[in-house]
Amino acid sequence: MYDMLTALINGALGWGWPEWALNLLSYILIVTIVLVVAPLQMLFFTYYERRVIARMQDRVGPNRVGPEGIWQPIADGVKMFTKEDIVPQAADRIVHFLAPCVVVAPTVLMFAVVPWGPGMVPVDLPTGLLFFFAISSISAVGLMMAGWASNNKFSLLGAMRAVAQMVSYEIPAVLSLIAIVIIVGSLSINEIIAYQAGLIISNRDLPGVPDLGLGWFVFTPVGFVAFVAFFIAALAEGERTPFDIPEADSEIVAGYMTEYSGMKFGLFYLAQYVLNFLLCAITAIIFFGGWQGPGVGWLYAQGITPANPNGNGLFNVLAGILGVFYFLLKTYIFFFVMVWLRGAFPRLRIDQLMDFGWKFLIPWTLANLFSAALWVAFTRWGPAEGMLITVGWSPVLRWLAAFVVTLAINLGVYLWLTRVYAASQAERRRAELEELSAAA
Amino acid sequence: MEVVVQMVFGLIALFILVAAAMVVSVRNVIHSALWLIACFFGVGALYLLLEAEFLAVVQVLVYVGAVSVLILFAIMLTRQISGEGVRQLTSRWPVVLVVTVLLFATVMTPTLINQQWNVPPAPPLGTPEPIAGPAELGRGFVNEFLIQFQVVGVLLTVALIGAIVIAFEERARRRKVLTLAEELELKRLRERTTQTETPEPVEAEPVARETRPASEG
Repeated sequence: MYDMLTALINGALGWGWPEWALNLLSYILIVTIVLVVAPLQMLFFTYYERRVIARMQDRVGPNRVGPEGIWQPIADGVKMFTKEDIVPQAADRIVHFLAPCVVVAPTVLMFAVVPWGPGMVPVDLPTGLLFFFAISSISAVGLMMAGWASNNKFSLLGAMRAVAQMVSYEIPAVLSLIAIVIIVGSLSINEIIAYQAGLIISNRDLPGVPDLGLGWFVFTPVGFVAFVAFFIAALAEGERTPFDIPEADSEIVAGYMTEYSGMKFGLFYLAQYVLNFLLCAITAIIFFGGWQGPGVGWLYAQGITPANPNGNGLFNVLAGILGVFYFLLKTYIFFFVMVWLRGAFPRLRIDQLMDFGWKFLIPWTLANLFSAALWVAFTRWGPAEGMLITVGWSPVLRWLAAFVVTLAINLGVYLWLTRVYAASQAERRRAELEELSAAA
Repeated sequence: MEVVVQMVFGLIALFILVAAAMVVSVRNVIHSALWLIACFFGVGALYLLLEAEFLAVVQVLVYVGAVSVLILFAIMLTRQISGEGVRQLTSRWPVVLVVTVLLFATVMTPTLINQQWNVPPAPPLGTPEPIAGPAELGRGFVNEFLIQFQVVGVLLTVALIGAIVIAFEERARRRKVLTLAEELELKRLRERTTQTETPEPVEAEPVARETRPASEG
């Protein structure tokens, strides 16, 4: 954005603005775009989810406001704004007021590191991925504040459930991402995307592979396991249906949002859908290449880049449009899968949720971490690091060896873990039955 | 530029001090926990001002995201949640203040007296900090500070095992809240055994579900 503005104001228009003014203007523009895009995505997602889930449940869904009901979210928004804001008399007014802000602010801040297209990232932090997860963990505090300040037992129960779930599923999510970070060797989201150029195989692992933007991590055994584990953990983080225990409406009304009405409730709703969008987006970015896709790399190479300052600006725009298209397409497909799961599965019990997270996902992702280390050893290490087997192998052979070894490890661990987990669940069930018969 | 940095530092430092003072002076224990979180945030901002970006992010991840949540959990599970707590400050707080100031002074005075305040000139913008990045920190952990790293690891494992030992309950001694399905199962089992024995009343709340989030989280 800064480069573009510099080229436009000081180059084409020749106004000669100072550097600080250009910086300020570019950041104001970026922040405005991010703050406008976040609620718009949320509005679209509510409509999208309602239509899709309606189709799955053999209904029509919202179709009255505008063509095919496309303005329904705006009507809902207007309704939210005009509702009365009710605060319970026994509530802690200040904390009750602050809680929605503490929940919404981190979700919007997370947009700061999400790249939309080639060269289209608001801030390219060297620790972008870590920033994303650090910021997302703040909203747990907001949920706790909401649950406690409402002075309602359902709210408090909901908040406790939400936070317990978030804290325990953060671990497999982060562990599965660390596997990718080990392979890339960087926490920067831009570098993770750049690594996924190529054709099925990343052209960093195998030089000479044509760049079709398809070297996604999901095609490798390590990336696939990490993707599945991360997506399950993302469902739990975003409180999507198999894991929507915190707001199980048949048990505890609406969880931590029970005592909120009007726009404060709207803010919780906003935070939830924005978080879902971001989780889908980060899944697309880390495992499916983000904006990478056929054509984007070629188009971007023709445009104005730091490596090629004399390029044609038109190609930048084209690459940006194509990149954003791929990125949003992947994101929306993941959200569709989330809605699909909501249509297909019932809610888990809290003990099943905890068992699955701690006893299955965490060991699985830990084993995956080991495979990731082996992957790096096979594809990149030489005699200097003590890797003597691969001396003299061609890159193709090294890549194939890494693929086979990690596949064997991941598959073996998966089969073993499912057996152990099933046995432990059966044992637990048996012990519970025994206890019951003892009580009888 | 220098002046702006100084001003921002002053504001953040003031914020941290105010938040820390509020932690010990508010009456409600949940409020003091929330002020503590604000204080952690301020420290994170201070790291960011020092261009230690990785440390700042880790500060937010560990302290705001995990430690504070555990503190909130602990408070909510160990005392009456909604009741206004007693004052956190003891009645003898002046004595405590004097002792703390004296202790702090013993640490700080030699530093303040002997320190040569020749601050090195700031490096040109954009140069990476020597130990700010994750790669440098990781290398430090496995080379220079290996022993410390191992000791911390063992310590944390011991703490983990200790927590499990303390929290572990014998299955037989646990007072179980039955789910509806288990109630039904129990009823069926009892019907099967009524021919021989007389049924005893079982202490179990009918519709209550099993909700022990914190003990597992």
